[in-house]
Amino acid sequence: MKKQIFAGALAGVMAASLTACGSGSGTTTAGAAGTTTTAGAAGGTTTTAASEIKGSGSSDALEVLIWDTNQQPGIQKILDKFTEETGIKTDLQVKDWNSYWTALEAAATGGSLPDVFWMHSNNSQMYMNNGMLLDLDPYIEKSSTIDLSNYMEQVTQLYTYNGKHYAIPKDYDTIALWYNKTMFDEAGLSYPDETWTWDDVLTAAEKLTKDDGSQYGFSMSSDNNQAGYYNIIYSHGGSVLSEDKTKSEFDSAKTIEAMETVGKLLKYCPDPSVMSETKDDALIESGTVAMCTQGSWMVPAFKQNDYMTANCDVAILPYDKETGVRASICNGLGWAASAKTTRPDDCWKLLEWLGSKDMQEMQAQLGVTMSAYNNTSDTWVNNTDKFNLKPYLQETEAKTGNATNKLVLRPYTYNTSVWEDQMNKDLVTAWADPSKMAETCKQVAADMNSAISKESAKSN
Amino acid sequence: MAGKSGVTKAKKHKMTKWDKSQALWGWIFILPTMAGLIILNIWPLIQSVYQTFFRTGDFGKGNVFVGLENYQQLFQDTEVWQALWNTFKYSLIEVPFSIILGLILAVLLNKKIAGRTFYRAVFFLPMVAAPAAVAMVWRWLYNTKFGLINNIFHTNIEWISNPSTAWISIGVIGVWSVLGYNMILFLAGLQEIPYDYYEAAQVDGANGVYEFFKITLPLLSPTVFFVMVTRIIGALQVFDLIYMVMDKSNPALPKTQSIVYLFYQYSFVNHNKGYGSAIALLLVICVLIITAIQMKLQKKWVFYY
Repeated sequence: MKKQIFAGALAGVMAASLTACGSGSGTTTAGAAGTTTTAGAAGGTTTTAASEIKGSGSSDALEVLIWDTNQQPGIQKILDKFTEETGIKTDLQVKDWNSYWTALEAAATGGSLPDVFWMHSNNSQMYMNNGMLLDLDPYIEKSSTIDLSNYMEQVTQLYTYNGKHYAIPKDYDTIALWYNKTMFDEAGLSYPDETWTWDDVLTAAEKLTKDDGSQYGFSMSSDNNQAGYYNIIYSHGGSVLSEDKTKSEFDSAKTIEAMETVGKLLKYCPDPSVMSETKDDALIESGTVAMCTQGSWMVPAFKQNDYMTANCDVAILPYDKETGVRASICNGLGWAASAKTTRPDDCWKLLEWLGSKDMQEMQAQLGVTMSAYNNTSDTWVNNTDKFNLKPYLQETEAKTGNATNKLVLRPYTYNTSVWEDQMNKDLVTAWADPSKMAETCKQVAADMNSAISKESAKSN
Repeated sequence: MAGKSGVTKAKKHKMTKWDKSQALWGWIFILPTMAGLIILNIWPLIQSVYQTFFRTGDFGKGNVFVGLENYQQLFQDTEVWQALWNTFKYSLIEVPFSIILGLILAVLLNKKIAGRTFYRAVFFLPMVAAPAAVAMVWRWLYNTKFGLINNIFHTNIEWISNPSTAWISIGVIGVWSVLGYNMILFLAGLQEIPYDYYEAAQVDGANGVYEFFKITLPLLSPTVFFVMVTRIIGALQVFDLIYMVMDKSNPALPKTQSIVYLFYQYSFVNHNKGYGSAIALLLVICVLIITAIQMKLQKKWVFYY
């Protein structure tokens, strides 16, 4: 009897720990790499056997691997339609951002990549250089559905290597400014709009910060590059990487000036330690901060949050007063297939399906993401009536208000994550003490240059 | 069966057909374990050592021999030595506290008290929970702004983002997680001790404290030794706690990241498996030295009866 009670108690806790894991993953999201990097879902899986990546689905199904649970339901619908149409079964698997890349690398090394999967500019160069991805050019030539000129040029360019194409553009993302209407009303301020410059953000942030620490004007953690400070840098005419991607530009005068602006903004942000423990998205969701910049990939999560739908809305990114430029970092994923797949023709059929105009439209309409196929994203704006999502799309236009809009591809090199991680580590110093911003930027540049110089040995 | 083994003993040096088949079957039975050990442990170990002499290429292709370059870098890398020191600091909290507290709990729960099975289960629970889930729960407990601890005590302590407190906070989670496991091992050890000793001591008028130090502790020393060796090795390999609790932008990360965390960063995030393997080898050597010292010292205090 005693043993039974003991066993019962253990079973109870196992169940409890599973739910704890589930809820944990829902709350901590960091959009550092244009995705929800979710720790909880990893389940501490440090073992990444190549076999693990293979799903439990039937052997005649094409394995499809993605990393964003927010997109899973929509993608599943598109895949179901594919099976209906062609009779080819698919097996969709999701892994969180971190374990996705460890598992994919292990699978690639072991020669057992999934049939079809997502590619990201952080890692695509390495995969393309090593011939891990199926060369799509012979298929594109024969295809009547796929014409790469129909897709957003920047995204196509990300997955082109030595003139060959290795992925079908899937989507693109831009950044916008989220703000808390209730807090703006309370402070008697007008909402941000296309006339706002980053200086206006500073002024408003000051007014929205309360002395007792219960409310802050802004939030931008030190690892929020794509949705955060990169946008300010490029608006100000600065840059992170040189044109030919061989040198860091983080120590250029314009970049340092822009980062000094970020330093000023930090005065109206929660403590850096708070921002490192609780990410920007959780801070705005909890009503702690009045404004923060977020990528379009966060919309599916925000529209399910009651506090967000009741209090918050979206504005276009502010522009730089000096340059008159409104820069938004933009990135796009691609659908790639394994070079070693046993069924390249079926894989191509799936890629063709996913890249077709209809399915790209469906992806936008379902609110999965904006789509890479030109002019298919208008319906994405209407996927929810909770927020005004137009700003995300407006940034692709040439001009909004008085400012020139500029889409800037998320900076990448052969081994982006190496210098990006180092950059995050270095910037912690400047976040703790913004007066050290200039010297920290120089440190970042030195570390980036050292990391990039080691890459050149690999990519050749 | 008994008769046959008698025959075996008589002709010791000459193997009969039956002996040979016995030996063969013996090997066949341990083959799965042996194969697992060789494929999953020994071969990777050799591979890791081999890799330390290379600048490893992508996907295991195109490795470039660089001789001792990785080791040269290792000895100059302050981050590695800081991480090694962080790992030792963590072990200094986890090992002694989890052993002392585990021992006290085991002694208490070895007595006939009401509901002791329940208590045993409760203390063992953290061991059953997934480490990742444990870390996620603690991460939120420790959260400066929204954490339960700060909210209950109306404090504003940066438990996991202040470099001077973070390593202790992580250590506390470690102690909490392994406490129950140590307790169970000690309980098993305690139940091996014959009750006669205590009875005899009580006749001679010994009190509880005296009994603990003169009977329980010496007779439990083999278990304490076992727990200590395995716990130190376990603590030096700490990874998941830090990986789950500490975010990459956490200001306290440089002062808390462990050696295995660093190994993971280099091997799997930075695609630099050669250097990662060199870091892992440094840890292996540290573990070997510490375990060897412990084996030597055990003669002085471990009492086998």
